[in-house]
Amino acid sequence: MSESSSPLEPSAASAGGPACCPIAPAEIDASCRLPLVVIFLCAAVWLVLGSAFELVASLKFHAPGFLADAAWLTYGRVRPAATNCLLYGFCMPAGLGVALWLLARLGRTRLAGPGLAAIGAGCWNLGVAAGVGGILAGGSTGFENLEMPSYAARLVFLGYLMIVVWAVLTFHHRRERRLFVSQWFLFVALFWFPWIGSTADLLLLTFRVRGIAQAVIAWWYTDNLLVVWLGLVGLGAVFYFVPKLTGRELQSRYLALLTFWMLILFGSWGGIPASAPVPAWLPVSSAVATGLGVVGVVAVALNVYGTLDGQCSKLMSHPSLQFIGFGVVAFVIGGLMSAAGALSEVSHVTQFTWFTVARGLVNSYGFFVMVMFGAIYYIVPQLVGLEFPSAKLVRAHFWTAAAGSLLVVVPLAAGGIVQGFKLQDANIPFSDVAHSTLPFLRASTTGDLLIALGHLMFLGNLAGLVVRYYRARAVSAWAAATAEIKPAEVSP
Amino acid sequence: MNYGPLVFLAAFFALATSWCGFVLTPQLQIGRLPQAHTVGGAASTYPVARPGLAQQGMEVYRANGCAACHSQQVGQTGTVLEIALTEAGTNQPATIAALLTLAEGSTDHAPALSLLAPVPSAPSNSTNATILAGLPRAFLRSSTREAANAAIKTLDATSAKAQLWIVPVGPDLARGWGERRSVAEDYLFDRTVMPGSQRVGPDLANLGARLPDANWHLRHLYAPRLEVKGSVMPPYRFLFEKRKIKDRQSPEALALPGDLAPGDGYEIVPTQAAQALVAYLTDLHADAPLFNAPMTRPATAEATTSTNAPAAPGTASTNAAPTHAAAP
Amino acid sequence: MSLEPQPPLPAAAEAEPQAGRIAVPVWLIVLLFLLLYWGMVYFDQHSGWFDPQVYAPYRSGAELALYQPPTGGPDLARGKVVFENVCGLCHGNDGAGKPGQAPPFIGSEWALGNPNHMIRIPLAGLAGPVEVKGQQYNLAMPAMGAALPDDDLAAVLTYIRQSWGNKASAITPAQVKAVRAEVGSRTQPWTADQLKAIQ
Repeated sequence: MSESSSPLEPSAASAGGPACCPIAPAEIDASCRLPLVVIFLCAAVWLVLGSAFELVASLKFHAPGFLADAAWLTYGRVRPAATNCLLYGFCMPAGLGVALWLLARLGRTRLAGPGLAAIGAGCWNLGVAAGVGGILAGGSTGFENLEMPSYAARLVFLGYLMIVVWAVLTFHHRRERRLFVSQWFLFVALFWFPWIGSTADLLLLTFRVRGIAQAVIAWWYTDNLLVVWLGLVGLGAVFYFVPKLTGRELQSRYLALLTFWMLILFGSWGGIPASAPVPAWLPVSSAVATGLGVVGVVAVALNVYGTLDGQCSKLMSHPSLQFIGFGVVAFVIGGLMSAAGALSEVSHVTQFTWFTVARGLVNSYGFFVMVMFGAIYYIVPQLVGLEFPSAKLVRAHFWTAAAGSLLVVVPLAAGGIVQGFKLQDANIPFSDVAHSTLPFLRASTTGDLLIALGHLMFLGNLAGLVVRYYRARAVSAWAAATAEIKPAEVSP
Repeated sequence: MNYGPLVFLAAFFALATSWCGFVLTPQLQIGRLPQAHTVGGAASTYPVARPGLAQQGMEVYRANGCAACHSQQVGQTGTVLEIALTEAGTNQPATIAALLTLAEGSTDHAPALSLLAPVPSAPSNSTNATILAGLPRAFLRSSTREAANAAIKTLDATSAKAQLWIVPVGPDLARGWGERRSVAEDYLFDRTVMPGSQRVGPDLANLGARLPDANWHLRHLYAPRLEVKGSVMPPYRFLFEKRKIKDRQSPEALALPGDLAPGDGYEIVPTQAAQALVAYLTDLHADAPLFNAPMTRPATAEATTSTNAPAAPGTASTNAAPTHAAAP
Repeated sequence: MSLEPQPPLPAAAEAEPQAGRIAVPVWLIVLLFLLLYWGMVYFDQHSGWFDPQVYAPYRSGAELALYQPPTGGPDLARGKVVFENVCGLCHGNDGAGKPGQAPPFIGSEWALGNPNHMIRIPLAGLAGPVEVKGQQYNLAMPAMGAALPDDDLAAVLTYIRQSWGNKASAITPAQVKAVRAEVGSRTQPWTADQLKAIQ
């Protein structure tokens, strides 16, 4: 269906500039439609499932015996299942989908191989399903953020390659040769994950390295995935949507370049916690790199603020912009939290506490997931040419998600700080320390509930739109097929 | 100009540097470690591989995600040098006088010595009474090695026998979670290293040293609040089975109080997974003195019966002084 | 494509965003360099410069060496083990010697005397006439200690000098190492006169 009758196929006209036969955005969107609908819909399902698991895990702090007799629902299995659903079920596929669309649009070219990219998405989802099922069945690998058993991890990796190869080809066949800022971020992200993923697979799952080197590699992988990869894709989306939806130009290409270099050079050196049982130069290098990351964070804040020309109220104008604005603020806050954690006085208190969980959530949920929501709420109507069934639900989702994130992050951060200070004092018995965190954990359950509700709204709206589109197509196809065939006029 | 390849090269370079720094170099430095030798005292190799049942237990630990709540890495914020007396010697008043003089900083070196606890005063007319009791015990703390060595020489001259003790300190250690920080050698033979990143539950690095009783662990897994009041740990009843007593009660059956006990004629027996997990938990140790984590083990280690509670009142329990009040 | 309602796209939808060319503020560059400086200083002070043995809270290999436990006094237990495996076969486990085989160690002026002599004997052996405690011996002792490492040789010699009523100074591995360096690869057994000539 992507075959157009234009004499200039993208592959044959790589030397052609944008002036000859430009492809309309609607055509580009049409070429992206199938894989992106598959990706986004499946990602929304994983999101709902992930928040359900997270709720179960959160409720266990209200009553430790809650669902305790089912081995597959024990906290140590259901919590990793929730984070894997969020990370590999939603974050990465949504990021890939947004990257595919952005690379096609910014390159002014159709997406290459959409059908095969959709198959890749299917392979990915199969892998995630096998992975989450494996974790719940007791096959967790034991490595944080890499708990999926090796068979699932390899399926996921294969799915990634199957999707990314078309993204790279789309980039290669771009008609607009000048690169926009987002394209650097997205193009680099495409290659980032295969390297870190294959390293993690080879050195942790296939030929396991010995001793604590496993943990070092796992920390490196986690940081490169959660900070660098999510940061690259998320910022690529931010730097596109903020100027696009406000109708202005991105303030500074050079600030974006600074952010880019800071992220890829120093972001990849974070990750080793200060407490780690490894030689001192490893956590010290991480602390220095994380401290330097504050420059990139400030650069993003300046760039976005400058693009809005100081008028932050513009962020409320478009529902997608609300999400993306929230994401930018969360990115800055998360970056500052991480940089503060680089100081040893702070990390001594916050290590091993819920504060580190809160900081991770600010980055992955508050920044990345919210930016993805904003992007998806813009992209999918473009793809199908229809608006969402309920625009009110989109706005409601924003307020639910924003309130939910705050209600999760703030109690966890506060509880973590209290926990940290109490852990420093050896006179306080550990059970008292654990008890003092319970009110905060129970408060965060309300946030989890709101977030789950928001996810249901998202899935409902998205599924409704997709169903509406395909039903309209089916109806019109059926009508075309059963239309009366008018005999042609025959002139004697 | 086609910037595509340049962007790719930038990414390649950036990731290559961090790969070299955090994957290649750690593998070269700590990924190929042989067993280490302990320092101080008789040299032995460390670590020793876990027994088979404990290795199976590690798989149970991994499968149930115990690392989601428990860390296995103990930290240390400093090390102190302490001067301890191992023998009171024949001239105790002279020893006491020497201790007091040293503590007043009358040595040539900077006043680096401080008393750890009040020194009993010597009665004027007894030279043979046992005034210095509870040995081996640390009396002075020094901040430099030279001052410590000089102090030991002075004390040795008074016919007592003095020793230099290297004592790691830190909040984790003060809680009794370990005797020194965890280092790479502690994880050498673990098939899956799970250092953990959260302390929803206490740290387990040295669990085998502070809770060696397998039955305690079995009861704790079945009903955590039985052993630790107010625990937030979920009960792991699925690791046990309730079965009918055949002829007589099996020796592994758990002894549970009234409301938790199974009905008449039934017993709660740990499954193979529970036995393996407990074997693993009681095998967790991180207490050998190594070159990169030096410490002095007191002459005889006192078996502790405390659980997660801090040190008993009466012994030093601040972050500064470690709990080395071991009886001889 | 035969779809119905046109999406109500905003007019700017056709144009993709552009990036402006505002320069990076100078203070941000200054901040970057300040942080780089802080990072270098912090790394220098805390990292131990890639030494794999330096773990926090130690900050350098030198600091780690300051906190090593004292190597302790002579290890008589170890010396005893080595003695009974190596020397006791001829000299007797009680150090009393065996007539016709080896002279005694108890009260022996050679054992209790100059450490430089005592160390050299096991390194190359002793042959020819030698007087021990007033008795003449003319035997040939092989270089039993040549294959022992410094620590073991020092331990066994210390054991000999401090057991069965003997009270003499301990011999340290450093002394053994120094003597070994002087002796070199000598295989010719010593004679009593050669030893007496050495200080």
